[in-house]
Amino acid sequence: MSQWGYVAAGYGVVFGVLGLYLARLLRRSRNLSRSLPEQERTWR
Amino acid sequence: MSGTANRTTRALGLAALSATAVTVYLGLVVTPPDQVQGQLVRLIYIHPASATFSFVACGVTFAASLLYLWPRTRSRRWDHLAASSAEIAAVFAALSLATGSIWGRPTWGVWWTWDARLTLTALLFALLLGYLALRRIGGPAETRSKLSAVAGVLLFAVVPVDHFATEWWRTLHQGDTLFRPKPLIHGSQLATMLLSFLAFALIYGYLLVHRYRLEQLEERLETEGLELALAERRAEGAAESGGVVGAGASQQVAP
Repeated sequence: MSQWGYVAAGYGVVFGVLGLYLARLLRRSRNLSRSLPEQERTWR
Repeated sequence: MSGTANRTTRALGLAALSATAVTVYLGLVVTPPDQVQGQLVRLIYIHPASATFSFVACGVTFAASLLYLWPRTRSRRWDHLAASSAEIAAVFAALSLATGSIWGRPTWGVWWTWDARLTLTALLFALLLGYLALRRIGGPAETRSKLSAVAGVLLFAVVPVDHFATEWWRTLHQGDTLFRPKPLIHGSQLATMLLSFLAFALIYGYLLVHRYRLEQLEERLETEGLELALAERRAEGAAESGGVVGAGASQQVAP
């Protein structure tokens, strides 16, 4: 693998994992907040 | 807005995204290759920041755990903060190990070596996983939180040892590039590396706010779910005992 291949792998792993983790957090919080009454779903 | 977002988190997320985009652009396009490392130097704009913010996140877990253990400051919010930050610390530690390994293969010729810095980072990652596993054990929430807080304080002991490992022992891993009187990099490389720290700080802040709110939400729904289940069980119990009394009364009346 060329040096650019290792660089691409590094950036791909970091931003891929962070993106997946964030997506999981937001999806779970959205699903759980649906269990709350309508007026309590927003955060100030 | 649903979930754990509001205007503040959107602004924070936008700032994190912008800083990250500029870092990636500078890191991959603008900055020059290194004379010795060639293009691999571009990994320096993501690897040290990942490692540093795993330490910062462990520091937040440590401080929040201490505040939870201290009776005068004990509050559920410190427990939530410690748990949230520990999870993000584990993510950053994993990224630090992965990017270090990706850099190590073409530079050192191996994916992994039992160097002091690498071994201690792997140990920290394992301890963070243990901490997160501890938080999932059953039993009363108060006991679980206290045990987790003790673990959150103890695991932080690895952080300074890991940070100073390159100074205390002869390691394959290079020493500090940035945090020294005369940094080893200059110009656009130095500016991009500093920007990467800002970008990761914003990412950490953004993730922490969302994870903290999710932790609060989970506990609230768990408590409400438990109360609801208890109420239902009490109602069932009352109905059953009422039915038995009723049956006994009817048997007494029947003769």
